[in-house]
Amino acid sequence: MKHLVTLFMGLAAFVIVLPILVVCASALNGGRSMLFPPQDPTLGRFAEFFISEPVWRDAMLNSVIIAFGSATLAVAVAWPMAYGVWKSGSAASKVLAGLGAMPFALPPIVFGVGLGFLWGFAGGLGDIWAGIVSHAVLFLALPVVTISIGLQSIDRAHLDAAATMGATERVILRTIIAPQMVPYTLSGFFFALVLSFNEFIVMFFVSASGYATVTLQIFNSLRNGFTPTMAVAAITFIVVSVVVFSLVARFGDLPRLMGADQSKT
Amino acid sequence: MSSIEADILRDTPDATVPKRGRVRPAQLVLWALVLALCVVPFLLVVVISFGEKVEGAAWVFGFTGENYLRFFVGASWPETSTTLYLNRLYYSVYYAVIASLVAVLTAFPFTYFMTRMSRAAQSRWLVFLLATLSLSEVFIVMGWDILLSNRSGLPMVLREIGVTDWLKGNGGFDLLREWGMANPRDIKFKTSEFATVLTMSYLVWPYAVILLYPALSRLDQSTVEAARTMGAGPWRVVQTVVLPTVRLPLIGTLFLLFVFLLGTYVSVTVFAEPAKQTLAISVYESVRGSTLNAPFGAAQSVILLVTGGLCLWLGQVLVNKQEARA
Repeated sequence: MKHLVTLFMGLAAFVIVLPILVVCASALNGGRSMLFPPQDPTLGRFAEFFISEPVWRDAMLNSVIIAFGSATLAVAVAWPMAYGVWKSGSAASKVLAGLGAMPFALPPIVFGVGLGFLWGFAGGLGDIWAGIVSHAVLFLALPVVTISIGLQSIDRAHLDAAATMGATERVILRTIIAPQMVPYTLSGFFFALVLSFNEFIVMFFVSASGYATVTLQIFNSLRNGFTPTMAVAAITFIVVSVVVFSLVARFGDLPRLMGADQSKT
Repeated sequence: MSSIEADILRDTPDATVPKRGRVRPAQLVLWALVLALCVVPFLLVVVISFGEKVEGAAWVFGFTGENYLRFFVGASWPETSTTLYLNRLYYSVYYAVIASLVAVLTAFPFTYFMTRMSRAAQSRWLVFLLATLSLSEVFIVMGWDILLSNRSGLPMVLREIGVTDWLKGNGGFDLLREWGMANPRDIKFKTSEFATVLTMSYLVWPYAVILLYPALSRLDQSTVEAARTMGAGPWRVVQTVVLPTVRLPLIGTLFLLFVFLLGTYVSVTVFAEPAKQTLAISVYESVRGSTLNAPFGAAQSVILLVTGGLCLWLGQVLVNKQEARA
């Protein structure tokens, strides 16, 4: 039984890793086509992606701007939402949080179409700022969830003690709640950041070909076939994800964020 | 602090009045933001689905059911009728159902075993899973595209190790051809339903683990051990102890993945044959692509949403019925 379990877990890991491994290896191809195993291996594609090809360099810059901008915005809006639910627990604040999570829960293509219409009217279609706002809205649910999880872990006795000693809500927020919430806020930020980095379909509709992110650029080049330079983009993105989530695991409690039982350590 | 004291504190005028005055405008701004950005886009889709296309690529607001009529019976009804779009809806649902089932059925045992590991090992697995989960659909499609391509992927491997010839000998090859997974000479995966469903279930597999993880990790291990000491075999334990306690999250996960997969775009464009493409593809064609008919695209999006909503509702009814019986 034990061996079967190990075998099963190993097989699962293998299947998950397989396409990623193949993409990574293809980046080493010397020629223009994606072959596996790579022919005439070279690292020249990395230079192409980051330095010499403006198409990819610009796309990378756009991806970074949108990811950081939207994650920051999402956290800024998520904080008062999560805080409202935790503080008052009122039906209205729960409805607000529920509505905020709607774009994330429904098929993204429908939200993309809707945002396309919205920016068409509001005049932001094809502008980067509209892309930033769109992603912030799409991934708002993530920081709301991580911050809510964090707020639930705060010992209410500390708050009561502070209040009896005369601390105002603002002081309590600054001295007791905020310091404990740093890892949860950062986790929410990074979840939104990484998902924004990798998001495709919503950006597809709101960019209206006005600019391209890396994922859009890859999809646009899809008709001409995949090239090794695109695989470099894939490697970059995988490395960023692994680093970010490792940081979250290192400085935050990842199993708890994912909803594991607290009593077991 | 007792609740009476709390009430007294709350009723102290100087503590509450400025606070309330401060909170309200911020609260209003928050509501306005959420309504404008989370709700209005969906409302726009619904409203525009009743609009009319005018010459060129433009459209105007209106109140016509024409777009829906076109979806169900075709534009030139009643002279002729077509089930083209119903067919696309069928494939949207078909791929999503199979892919979410495959993902949940394989992710369930995986998650179960994972939650039995040490906290540190769980953390490592979660990092790995989150990294693959966040990986863009375009990269995943890229990877499977190489793996399944006729030149350098699995078909080549199967040919080289002799599986293709072996299948030709025992008649398995003809079966594959019937399933659209082989051309006259070789096994092929592009384009096929198999490749589409495989990529789609790969896409949501980490989501399935993450969604099942809380329930399985809170599973009381002592009940499992108790059942074991009373002589129940592993399979019987799963059937009588584990499954009943996680039935709800299991069904919930299945439906969430299903709704998510309804809108899959990249996998379907690359791996599904033209006759078996989904509604997501024609939504794109109508809104941004070749046909440019935004109201019709909106109508198709609404139908996609309603389909998802109906399925969720049906799932809820199913769960409630089971709960009532239990």
